[in-house]
Amino acid sequence: MRARALLGMLLLAAVPARAQQPVDTRAQIQALQYLPLRFNPPLPKRVTLSNGVPVYLLEDHALPLLDVELISKVGVANLPDSLWGIGWEADNLLRTGGTTRLSPDSVDKLIAFYALTIGFQTGNETSTASMVGLSRYRDRLLDLAFDMMRNPRDDSSRVRISAAQQQESWRRRNDQPGSVLGRAWSQVVLGDHPLGRTQVTPAEIAGFTPERFRWVQHRIFCADNFLIGVSGDFVEKDLLAKLEQLFGGWGKCPAGLRSVPPLVIAQGPKIVLVEKDVNQTNIRMGHAGGIKVGNTPDYFAAEVADFLLGGGGGFNSRLLQRVRSDSGFAYSVFSNWGADTKREDVFFTGAQVRAEKTVAALALMRNIIGSMATQPVTAQDVKLAQDNEVNSFVFQFQNAGQIVGQQLRYAVDGLPANWFDLYLKGVQAVTPDQVRQVSEKYLHPDRLITVVVGKSSAFDKPLATYGPVTAMPVDSIRR
Amino acid sequence: MRVFLGCTALLTLALSPSLAAQERTPGERLPVVKHVLPNGMTFLFLRRPGAPTVSFVTHFRAGGVDEWTGISGTAHLFEHMLFKGTHSIGTKNYAAEVALFPRVDAVADSFTAEYRKGALTDSAQLGRLRDRLKTLEDSARQYAVSNELDRILTENGAQNLNASTGNDATNYFFSLPSNRAKLWFVLESDRIRNPVLREFYSEREVVLEERRLRVETQPFGMLLEEYLAAAFRAHPYGRPVVGVASEIQTVDRQAAQEYFKRFYGPNNAVVAIVGDIDVDSMKAWATRYFADIPTGEPHRPVVTQEPPQRGERRIDVEYDANPQVLIGYHVPSARHPDAQALAVLSQILTGGRTSRLFQRLVIRDRVATTIASFQFPGSLYPRLFTFQGVPIAPHTTQEIETAVYEELARLTREPPTDEELQRVRNQIEASAVQRLASSFGVAFQLSNSEALWYDWTQTFRDQAAQSRVTAADVQRVARAYFDRGNRTVATLVRPPKPATGGTN
Repeated sequence: MRARALLGMLLLAAVPARAQQPVDTRAQIQALQYLPLRFNPPLPKRVTLSNGVPVYLLEDHALPLLDVELISKVGVANLPDSLWGIGWEADNLLRTGGTTRLSPDSVDKLIAFYALTIGFQTGNETSTASMVGLSRYRDRLLDLAFDMMRNPRDDSSRVRISAAQQQESWRRRNDQPGSVLGRAWSQVVLGDHPLGRTQVTPAEIAGFTPERFRWVQHRIFCADNFLIGVSGDFVEKDLLAKLEQLFGGWGKCPAGLRSVPPLVIAQGPKIVLVEKDVNQTNIRMGHAGGIKVGNTPDYFAAEVADFLLGGGGGFNSRLLQRVRSDSGFAYSVFSNWGADTKREDVFFTGAQVRAEKTVAALALMRNIIGSMATQPVTAQDVKLAQDNEVNSFVFQFQNAGQIVGQQLRYAVDGLPANWFDLYLKGVQAVTPDQVRQVSEKYLHPDRLITVVVGKSSAFDKPLATYGPVTAMPVDSIRR
Repeated sequence: MRVFLGCTALLTLALSPSLAAQERTPGERLPVVKHVLPNGMTFLFLRRPGAPTVSFVTHFRAGGVDEWTGISGTAHLFEHMLFKGTHSIGTKNYAAEVALFPRVDAVADSFTAEYRKGALTDSAQLGRLRDRLKTLEDSARQYAVSNELDRILTENGAQNLNASTGNDATNYFFSLPSNRAKLWFVLESDRIRNPVLREFYSEREVVLEERRLRVETQPFGMLLEEYLAAAFRAHPYGRPVVGVASEIQTVDRQAAQEYFKRFYGPNNAVVAIVGDIDVDSMKAWATRYFADIPTGEPHRPVVTQEPPQRGERRIDVEYDANPQVLIGYHVPSARHPDAQALAVLSQILTGGRTSRLFQRLVIRDRVATTIASFQFPGSLYPRLFTFQGVPIAPHTTQEIETAVYEELARLTREPPTDEELQRVRNQIEASAVQRLASSFGVAFQLSNSEALWYDWTQTFRDQAAQSRVTAADVQRVARAYFDRGNRTVATLVRPPKPATGGTN
């Protein structure tokens, strides 16, 4: 086979044969030249319904599918604390509870029969309603989904199902180490703040009533709070007329929600141990992140630092390189320098490590966090993060749904429509010294809160050799 | 709001629109260009409008079932090794680096020899050998450029870089901005031609942690592994793809190399390239970069057949967690004519909130949080039709079992209704469109179908065949496969004494 290919080359181009010489792939890659990527992603059109609700529209007729997403600018954290559990389950009840006109079974039958996807999600500070179906079922899809949102039924049988399911979820809350870690971490770092909660308690389940669900649903899923994104196979004029009809007569959102209470992030250092009989230790360590999303040098430098520490940099991040590839301590290890437009969030790293290497891994991870300031990243490292962002930008615009979703998200977060351009420029401007400075300023290996879920008798050394330990019995995790 | 006249009237109106019986599906109509090199390597090209991106998915006809005794997990470990580089990528000095491998391997052999002693193993010696292995492998790192492949792809903006190993096949994938498509040809032809199994023994440790993450610390993972082992006595579908812990700890570089030699010939590879591409350039590059790789051994299907089961098998799996149950029946491979009727049966019993078992167990009786069914753990060989049920205390797994057996029996007496069948057909129609939404998704389906069935349209034709399944077909398979004697039931139960740190 090889001979024939070479013969062809000789005849056609008179290229000298160099068959036996090993190929240097690295040199080949360096010699590759790429044409510039010319791409102007389509932008959604923004219009406003007569009730003031903004709509982002982008047609794409490649497939006969329609995708409508509504984002509400409020979520569970905006509810009074006493209704957190109701808010957490309110999305499921909206999907399963039926409407004043249609029984729960009738709704299920319509959705299943027409292969519609109708889903609701009550998040922390935003909530969503998503509607997807074949475009020829546009009216069935939207009529049904809006009826579910606007006219939820007081159906106690479905409330009882939700209560039983949540009760079982509570019963199983400690079955998996990841669930124990997540809840212990939130309790230690964020206390009882709603932004850290993921589990409904029996006391809250006892308060599940149709009236309370309706109270919450009417305040989260209501007209004034929405932004709408529409993508796929539709005709703009018809769709807007349909949306006007669907919102017709939908009054103002009732009062009763609050601003999210200030987030108080606990101070380290602190080491917390939750005993669990497993041969792999779940670890999370971190502290207040100190960074807000915005067009500021610190934010972009922190993004690059996170990339290189254990975020988007993948195997070339310090944590994966050293904890996984070099040491073989873990399969999964990562960092997450949380940031939000509204407030400073939490910085943390995490891993699941072999029980017999727990303390070694903790020390290594702590050192790596510290190394971001003491052994600064190189220009080559920063270029890796920058090249990755620049060269992958087209993946942010792969289809109409993704493009519309991006604009919705920016609008809800209060970011400008051209945020992605600003982000790329911001990351491009980051220097290695800025990464060092931001690491020095905001990362504090001496002040880490460390939560460990595992079997301490199997650890390589007593956990106390890593620092003073507070035991947290698994049953003391309140939520 | 006239649409809400009533449910029944609406459903009747909608019985008409569905796929005409023999019409080609949207998937089959894709303008895929198939290009087979003389060495047998198969390329599938599909140009799609949209953003300038391109997705690459390579399937090798090599999976967990192809491993031989004592090396379980090697298919998966080798998949990890294909990210470690080649003769030129990942090294500063290949010759100096490989010159150290025999010394490393010799210590690995000593480690395994000590391990083999079983009850007589000297654990202190084992620890010393493990440390020695680490020291020696670390010394080879002075010549390595760890994770260089990942670095090259990251700086070029690659997305979704990953791979996965199954029982039947192994796949590797990533996407690139379309102007950089040639990079895939350079890198992929190098790594399937010249892989270097560097950092092998530390990666063995990584895979052990992956096993603990996915299986040993997960109640469902543990239950699934024990269930498969109970159901399959002969066929390798009973073995975990990730491997048995003792074999992951002792498999050596030579075995992984041997696995590669046997199964990674170009004739066992299928590549799908989907996105903003110029098909002629792709063809030319495929030839230029891959045509001179020598043909390998053809893939030979596993000869082992699972003997008919002689009576119900029931196992308890002790684990410190709340109960759940798996109930399985041996059924034929995905190529058998009954496979599509079984898929429809699954939809009727557990597909969504209106399915028979969901209605009964979750909605009516509030006995379970979950009831699901699926056919697995592969497609090429006879497999298991499996029900998974999670009870709500104080209800028991036994109540879930009873409901499953009764509904299976009822299906043999009462055929699926027209409405139930039409619901399934409508869902197939929507899914036939939705499955084409992403380039990466399409690339994956095309290369998987071609690798398993030597025909990229097979996956779409199988789905269309489900639309033609009749009530009589569903009843026939309900009677054929769901006997008690063909059944394996695995139940997760708490150990008699709670382990330390036990919950609840």
